[in-house]
Amino acid sequence: MSPAPTPLEVDDPDLDHDAVVDADRPWIVLVWNDPINLMSYVAHVFRKLFGFSKTKADKLMMDVHEKGRAVVSSGDRENAEMDVFRLHEHGLWATMQQDD
Amino acid sequence: MPRRMILKRRRPHAFERDGDRTAIRLGEDERSMLADLAGQFRSVVSDDSDPDLKRLYPTAYPDDPQRDADYSGLVHEDLVRTRVAAAETVVATANAVSLDSDQLTAWMQVLNGLRLLLGTRLDISEGDEFDPEAEDAPTLALLSWLGFLLEEAVVAASSDLDDA
Repeated sequence: MSPAPTPLEVDDPDLDHDAVVDADRPWIVLVWNDPINLMSYVAHVFRKLFGFSKTKADKLMMDVHEKGRAVVSSGDRENAEMDVFRLHEHGLWATMQQDD
Repeated sequence: MPRRMILKRRRPHAFERDGDRTAIRLGEDERSMLADLAGQFRSVVSDDSDPDLKRLYPTAYPDDPQRDADYSGLVHEDLVRTRVAAAETVVATANAVSLDSDQLTAWMQVLNGLRLLLGTRLDISEGDEFDPEAEDAPTLALLSWLGFLLEEAVVAASSDLDDA
């Protein structure tokens, strides 16, 4: 599905047009740098939750550490929420947003 | 994220892998301190009113307060329950000889949860140096000790992962 070329005509005033048009834009899950979580623990959680190789998990962890954040997963909103939840469960600072 | 200092080791690893299980190599004092801390963590998490718990429940949707409130309403109780259960596991196994992998995960969640709580309370920032004269030195030392244990738990838990 691509965005509708003309505005949708709907009766429901609550319907969020942007949400409808943007429904297919993927969501990304970001992990942010923080001064408390240990580097080794962060990399370990990435491996455990996402099945990344040690090399990939370490690379993402270093991105978080050096660049302040890294994208660790992307997909539909439901899956992104699940990933955010699991990261929060393990104490990581994760957020989600729609990809630009 | 803090990098752990390399210290000259004067004691065995706190956690040592033994087949499917992980042996705990801690003295009685350390075990009773951990049981006490895990019990306190359980109380603070169940009470759920301490503002210093905020790092344990980050904002999922920073750009969208409405969605964030919906998300939080959906998962907050689950997160609290997981943390209470993990704290109870640590209290119950503080004197155990060894842990299975679920119990080790619970220990790691509590060690990390305590660090998030104490670190927020101390308002620590990246690269803070330890100052033994500082007023909060005892709590900082505790934070550091918990980090030391967590670091060793990570090593032990890594053998459960595919390409360890």
